[in-house]
Amino acid sequence: MNCRNKKYRYLLSFSLLGILTVIFFALNIRVGSTYISVSELIKILLSDNSDSSNASIILKIRIPRVMTAMLLGGALALSGYLLQTFFHNPIAGPFVLGVSSGAKLTVALVMIFSASRFFTISSAVMIMAAYAGSMLSLGIVLVLSQKVRQMSMLVVCGVMIGYICTAVTDLAVTFAEDSDIVNLHNWSRGTFSGAKAENVSVMAAFVLSALILTFFLSKPISAYQLGEGYAISSGVNVKLLRAALILLSGFLSACVTAFAGPVSFVGIAVPHLVKTLFGTSKPIILIPASFLGGGIFCMMCDMIARTAFSPTELSISTVTAIFGAPIVIILMLKRRKGDF
Amino acid sequence: MTEYAVSADKLTVGYKEPLISDICFNVKSGSIVVLIGPNGSGKSTILKTLSGYLKSLGGEIFFDGTNKKNVTLKEQAKLISVMLTEKISPELMTCSEVAESGRYPYTGYFGILSNEDKKAVNDAVKLVGAEDFIEKNFSEVSDGQKQRVLLARAICQQTKILILDEPTSYLDIHHKIILLEAMRKIADEKEAAIIVSMHEVELAEKIADYVICVKDGDIIYSGMPKEIFCEENICKLFDIPKNLYNKYYKSGG
Repeated sequence: MNCRNKKYRYLLSFSLLGILTVIFFALNIRVGSTYISVSELIKILLSDNSDSSNASIILKIRIPRVMTAMLLGGALALSGYLLQTFFHNPIAGPFVLGVSSGAKLTVALVMIFSASRFFTISSAVMIMAAYAGSMLSLGIVLVLSQKVRQMSMLVVCGVMIGYICTAVTDLAVTFAEDSDIVNLHNWSRGTFSGAKAENVSVMAAFVLSALILTFFLSKPISAYQLGEGYAISSGVNVKLLRAALILLSGFLSACVTAFAGPVSFVGIAVPHLVKTLFGTSKPIILIPASFLGGGIFCMMCDMIARTAFSPTELSISTVTAIFGAPIVIILMLKRRKGDF
Repeated sequence: MTEYAVSADKLTVGYKEPLISDICFNVKSGSIVVLIGPNGSGKSTILKTLSGYLKSLGGEIFFDGTNKKNVTLKEQAKLISVMLTEKISPELMTCSEVAESGRYPYTGYFGILSNEDKKAVNDAVKLVGAEDFIEKNFSEVSDGQKQRVLLARAICQQTKILILDEPTSYLDIHHKIILLEAMRKIADEKEAAIIVSMHEVELAEKIADYVICVKDGDIIYSGMPKEIFCEENICKLFDIPKNLYNKYYKSGG
């Protein structure tokens, strides 16, 4: 009986996530500073005619943007989930551990360097730069985690690493002399607006392949949840698994930072919300669910960022922090009772 | 050598620094070997080395006559199951999910249980008497119930060797007895070799086929429980003055 109840719950929860994805996707295309009626929207979507200005708003701005929010939101949530698995702690995430800021720093440096040399860089190079930065930050966090056993202290260290990286980034931006700086400045605060249609396909390729790889790790991750000792006794190569968790998590958050800049708290908030919704910790459920949930969360936040004070646009982190940070506080209070 | 389920030959164990050297013992299938000694004496270190959590610092370990070095992690998972002292606090996992994780070495790529797997789990759960609370969340049940679930997890892994690190600690006498009874059943019915550490002398005497006494990084005695558990040995092993031992312990033992 119990088993069947659970299956219903999984099914219902997945359906809910599916419906929300469709709703927010549609809303994001429909809503914006330019009014476009539903009938015109459908006409634009069905025909290939992209001459009108409204059509180009839909096809070249709104659709790439909502796709970006969906994919990168999913990537962030998944990156957070992997870090939480690694540290056995729900408060780990790419933003609080300074991983996003590390990626931001290297991407900013590469951007400034390329702008001063008058060449543009491809999406793949941006991701690689971000990856280098995120792995650098993660490396420092891992070294620190050997010394600092308490997760709360490790988070403080991560936040400090984040501040250092942000300070260096700001410094570099201040002394860089180029018109690209305006663009850089927007990006460094976090936004989904920069994505063009051709970026989206690169992004999708990278993020979705990381998602699939992660999904194939769901069995060893489930064994790892009981701790290293039990994982080893189940036949899991723990060293390899830990390396995979870090590499994948760093890669996913690098993808996000490369295209959208640092986006805060999604990595912690979404896996927690998803776990609460599904009432399970099975990786085989939580991996796809976190991805969907992250997409929904970011599409929602991006819609608010675009429309709340239109035509002024908020940075995405402003909105995600408002919804995400309270969840982090709640999690911390909950953990306070038990061991940290 | 092939007649033993587990053999240690001049084994040296420790965390980086050698703690105990020249450990030799053999464990037959169907027998229970108890490592006994005060807390911090090195029992866990021996067990962690046997189960592969710590690297051995010298000497050889044999499982069913095969050198441990020639056994892959995956093969070992079908040969040895463990129950550890480290407390686990998995979020949102039910007791049955924890027990089911023992089937890990047998399930396919996504870890979905077959009917055979489910039967093995059910049998193990029944053996430890955990049917009543198996659907509850693991974090919500008592320590005794957690220990039983973890024992069920080790049992459903269906290995010929079980390594149990202080399974009876923190349990009341009722639950201790249930756990010991389950261990005896596995040893007798499934012909499993069980290596278990504990510090309760009175229980060790009842359950053990063979006893190894560990104190301060040294094996001070080993042998049949009848030979080992005399007043003098116990006093020495746990540093108890004789008059106090007589006062508090003797009538019970």
